[in-house]
Amino acid sequence: MEAFSRLYGRFRRLMHLHTVHRRQQGLCAAAKVRLSVQQAADVWARRFEEAGVSEPGPSSQYIVAHVLGVKTMANLEPGILGRTLTDVQMQQVWELCGRRLCRMPVQYVIEEWDFRDITLKMRPPVFIPRPETEDLVSFVLADLQPAWGAGFTVLEVGCGSGAISLSLLQNLPRLRVIALDRNKAAVDLTNENAHRLGLRDRLQVLHLDVMQDAEKVLRECGLVDVLVSNPPYLFSQDVTSLQPEILDRFEDLAALDGGADGLQIIRQILSLAPHLLKDQGRVYLEVDPRHPPLIEQYVEEAKEVGLQYIQTQCDITERPRFSILQKTRPER
Amino acid sequence: MNWKRGDYVLVYYSSRVLRFDIFISLSVGLPRIRAAGKRDRIDLDSLNEEHLEEQFVRGSGPGGQATNKTCNCVVLKHIPSGIVVKCHQTRSVDMNRKKAREIMQEKLDIFYKGEDSGVLKQRKEQEWRKLEKRKRARERLEKKQLFKENALADSKQGEHTR
Repeated sequence: MEAFSRLYGRFRRLMHLHTVHRRQQGLCAAAKVRLSVQQAADVWARRFEEAGVSEPGPSSQYIVAHVLGVKTMANLEPGILGRTLTDVQMQQVWELCGRRLCRMPVQYVIEEWDFRDITLKMRPPVFIPRPETEDLVSFVLADLQPAWGAGFTVLEVGCGSGAISLSLLQNLPRLRVIALDRNKAAVDLTNENAHRLGLRDRLQVLHLDVMQDAEKVLRECGLVDVLVSNPPYLFSQDVTSLQPEILDRFEDLAALDGGADGLQIIRQILSLAPHLLKDQGRVYLEVDPRHPPLIEQYVEEAKEVGLQYIQTQCDITERPRFSILQKTRPER
Repeated sequence: MNWKRGDYVLVYYSSRVLRFDIFISLSVGLPRIRAAGKRDRIDLDSLNEEHLEEQFVRGSGPGGQATNKTCNCVVLKHIPSGIVVKCHQTRSVDMNRKKAREIMQEKLDIFYKGEDSGVLKQRKEQEWRKLEKRKRARERLEKKQLFKENALADSKQGEHTR
């Protein structure tokens, strides 16, 4: 403990040096102190905690693991934890942790993240996929997998980094996907991730806004078997009370704000769905926990919309998170 | 190809494991696939979800788009045996849950079957293979040394006789 305090004292003096002389000195001053993998992670966890950065422990661990070329510290052999970091590694850890000190989300700091069985590149301000959305993909797969997605087409509205589309393509070798996003940066990032995963040939990414370009969407997307979306669904008033990581505008707030009741984009998607789906085609949506009964009521009252509410599913925290609907067969 | 249910077929598959799943379909009676190059699959009893208790480090926040929590560690507990598995191998909750279940299956196999456990048998076999490999490598090295010594001895003898 005493040794740790002494080491931490040296670290504090070096941090001061580092922030003052960073530009002038090229190589990080901290490189002159030799830290082991575990020590570096602990020192930065403490620094993050003092600065009020959320998840101080996990943040430093993910960054150190990334510098060492693995996903998590759990993947390191116990022997490696005591090994001294090289100068280059120290510099990388310092640089990345410096970004995290500014509240930049870890996913943007290390520029990548895992989503189900794929690893995606992350870049601000494109929306970072949330763990709940992994279950949305599970529900779509459960319905499509028996037929191995043979010749099916899926339309994703608001693809962001391409998490949902690419995860579906990865698991269903014969699936085709059309993905839309109103943000050009998201379109580019989805294309980049598709290229990295070798899934470019079955994916078409379009720079379209489902609110502004509705007619173009209907023209270009044709009839699809499944419509899936994790649309902006937060209530506008809730957007202001978000975590600093999100509020500090690293992430595009437009990817979160769903209007006063959070249903603005969802309503638009539901109104377009019957014109985009084949008969018996399904809609899978991730929504706010308050939405499912409202959506069910909406399609019940507006029968001419042509959609039937199938079911609500919960996420891993037992909150109602997903709405599944189906296009009803037109009455003859 | 007239395969019967239960036949084994050797298949080489790419590093993208899920592509390989195309060829498996027990429901249509295709043979079980043994993957070459990777360790043999052992038949483990499937888990009963009702006996499992899962815990995630997610916090009490609103979740979904409103939160960006990165800690995706999964803790899985098997109630009847009390075995607990903690998995933080990936940065995906879904993958950690799957891997936690795989680890749990192996641990339960050892717990309930003891010496008869397929997992233990496979580990013993791997250990044995490793030892055999080392033994063979040692023997080869000794033979080489012997050959060198003999060759040296012969050449010296040759010099003397000249």
